Amino acid sequence: MPKQYFSLRNLKFTMHELHKAQEVTEYPYFAHLDREAIDMILESAIQIADNILAPCAIEMDREHMAHFHDGKVTVHPSVKKYIKAIGDAGLIASRAPLSANGSQLPETLNVAMAFVMGAANNAITSFAGLTEGSANLILSFGNQHLKDTYLPKMYAGDWQGTMCLTEPQAGSSLHYITSSASPTSEEGKYKIKGQKIYITAGDHDQTDNIVHLYLAKIDGAPAGTKGISLFVVPQKRIENGQLVPNDVKTIGIFHKMGQKGAPAVHIEAGTNDECFGWLVGEPHKGLTYMFQMMNEARIGVGTTGACIASAAYYAALEYAHERPQGQSLNIKGQDPNAPQTHIINHPDVKRMLLFQKSIVEGSLSLVMQGAKYADKIHSTEGEEKEKYQLLLDFLTPIIKTFPTEMGQQSVSSSLQVFGGGGFCEDFPLEKLYRDIRITTIYEGTTGIQSLALLGRNITMKNGKAAMALFQEISQDIKDATTHEDLKKYATALAGKLGEIQKVTQHLVGFAMKGDTERFLADATLYMEAFGILVVAWQWLKQGTAAKLALLTQNPQGDDLQFYESKIHTMRYYFAYEVPKTQGLMTRLLDDEVLTIQVENGILV
Amino acid sequence: MKILVCITHVPDTTSKIAFMNSDTELNKAGLTFVIGPYDDYALARAVEIKEAQGGTVTALNVGLAETEPTLRKALAIGADDAIRIDADPTDAYFVATQIADIARKNGYDAIFMGRESSDYNGGQVHGMVGEMLGMPSFSPVMKVEIEGTKVTLAREIEGGKEYIEASFPLVLGCQEPIAEWKIPNMRGIMSARTKPLQVIAPVSQENLTSGGHYELPPARSGCKFIDASEAEKLIDLLKNEAKVL
Repeated sequence: MPKQYFSLRNLKFTMHELHKAQEVTEYPYFAHLDREAIDMILESAIQIADNILAPCAIEMDREHMAHFHDGKVTVHPSVKKYIKAIGDAGLIASRAPLSANGSQLPETLNVAMAFVMGAANNAITSFAGLTEGSANLILSFGNQHLKDTYLPKMYAGDWQGTMCLTEPQAGSSLHYITSSASPTSEEGKYKIKGQKIYITAGDHDQTDNIVHLYLAKIDGAPAGTKGISLFVVPQKRIENGQLVPNDVKTIGIFHKMGQKGAPAVHIEAGTNDECFGWLVGEPHKGLTYMFQMMNEARIGVGTTGACIASAAYYAALEYAHERPQGQSLNIKGQDPNAPQTHIINHPDVKRMLLFQKSIVEGSLSLVMQGAKYADKIHSTEGEEKEKYQLLLDFLTPIIKTFPTEMGQQSVSSSLQVFGGGGFCEDFPLEKLYRDIRITTIYEGTTGIQSLALLGRNITMKNGKAAMALFQEISQDIKDATTHEDLKKYATALAGKLGEIQKVTQHLVGFAMKGDTERFLADATLYMEAFGILVVAWQWLKQGTAAKLALLTQNPQGDDLQFYESKIHTMRYYFAYEVPKTQGLMTRLLDDEVLTIQVENGILV
Repeated sequence: MKILVCITHVPDTTSKIAFMNSDTELNKAGLTFVIGPYDDYALARAVEIKEAQGGTVTALNVGLAETEPTLRKALAIGADDAIRIDADPTDAYFVATQIADIARKNGYDAIFMGRESSDYNGGQVHGMVGEMLGMPSFSPVMKVEIEGTKVTLAREIEGGKEYIEASFPLVLGCQEPIAEWKIPNMRGIMSARTKPLQVIAPVSQENLTSGGHYELPPARSGCKFIDASEAEKLIDLLKNEAKVL
């Protein structure tokens, strides 16, 4: 791994100077914390990242990737060390309330920690992330017996948690699942039968048990998603105080392109009719429960996109400073004896690095914005709370999509800086390039997120959510306009918002005529344009915060350079990235649509 | 057992260091400060001993108010209370004098600290404290085991390790692998907010040294790749360009 994989200076700027993360400690829900405690908890995460995660990142991908042999899955031994460390630190229970022995941490801090640890080693973090998500489901919806049985072990990192949704014939369309649950004589206990695929951390040798949160249909349940229930299906169940096998068999692991340290497992439950599961909450509400965790999970995936791009950017930046190649384009007639210049001095390399920086820091800011809204939901009441919920719901598909889609482009650009070296295993870029590829797929593909944005969120509550967002952006445009040298960018963003609103009206017009297919045909392009503008908003906010610091703090040395770099990168983003929306919006307003009412035979 | 752990408040080892005022002063703007890495090992071992055998661990730092978050971290890791000597730690003798004064007043069975700080890397304080208190002082200590009143130490020496038996009271300058660094947990962080942190005025001590100015090491030059078949060229570069042979 390169020496640096994220910037603490930028992370603290984004958390505290930009999004004022520490403000939430003024509300009762987070009053158990103060700025010093927040910094100390973040420091613990950095310590785990530096000392446990980064050192084994490459090894987990190459020499010691997840392996399946004789029906057993083995993973890198650092997984145990990591899960125990994060469990002991109280970070698997970071979102759980104090009343449940959780740490009740703000989402801004959770995002910051996930960013740091994911940048160090994005494959390993899924082990604890899945345990946390599944434990929180039990905490929210399980009965006391389930809570007492599973939560202490899961939050301590002794037992692994997983999410079992996908089946061979049912992926994005979960209403096609066939896993079944048959009642037994004991209330809440069912016999489970079925297969699940792509179960991350679904089996491994570094925890004492694996606890699957498993979607299945109770015999006689209604058809479709309304018949899906949620069960706890442990790999080993407790009988007479002992852990005994629960007839959950690992059929194999998938040979993935990236994140090879974390196994994606194919499991079969009930091969011998001896698999038992315990109902979580009420029957037939499984998908509803699962989707209550989805906003969190999608912000998590957005964070993963941003942090992988961060690791790639800092590797590329280091290399560009060290690699001599070629001479300045301004030297007339290349002098064969003249020393070579470092590649960072070539404008095209600098452009690539500015692109990466603008995506990494823009994405982090966007993810942190969502986290701030999540914290406000916990801290406020009434109309204010409703407003923040709408803002978070509206932004979630964008938070999931922009950092992952643009993160892929950013990592590709980082790899390009390395030239041929980037394509080889001598550097971590080829790994990061493979790792980030999944992020536009899991927890809802980019296509699905785009349908959610245009098909659902734009019209959510009669457009109230969209209006709330535009009001937030307008306020920040107003703030930026008070600085003479930011006016140009504030005005540009205001103009672009007007344009995207016209595009939106144009597309919604088709929906109103009942032509849903036409309305949503280019939703992904709409998402792309909308995402660029939402991140332009984040860059304008960063520029304003940096300008304010320059005016009021008299920064010197590195600090001065940091704030000037922020403003320069904002200028880059507005000059090079924002204009890309023009082409997208032209396309979205064009009546010639070539993807609908076209015979499949056209694709030969 | 009563253990005093002396910790330094130093820039994170990955920090980019810059100076100001004609290179006579460290520019602290934007720097993240941490417990000195060797002190972190000392603290971790002291907490382990306390957890295994009972007793107390007091964390001490000689520093201005800005060092309190570092002391709070020591409390979060497992120290029971903390003392801050309210003074700028101007040189090793000054710091050792302050530590010795507190130790005389409070009486500790053992005084743990890092083998050296990671800012000035002087490695002198443990020896000075031992001398001032009339206690044996050992450094760099890689292992400490306690059995009743017998203390077994492993110390790194040129080309190997030296095993020593000692008894209390003593002063130890510690280094890895004496213990694994401890990561503060949530319970520790929350309880650190209410653990006692005492601020004490320094005892008078004239500075025996005075600072001059600082210089950064020369910037790293570009990497040169030498083909494996050209060993002579490599030797020539090492001799004449890098001047390391």
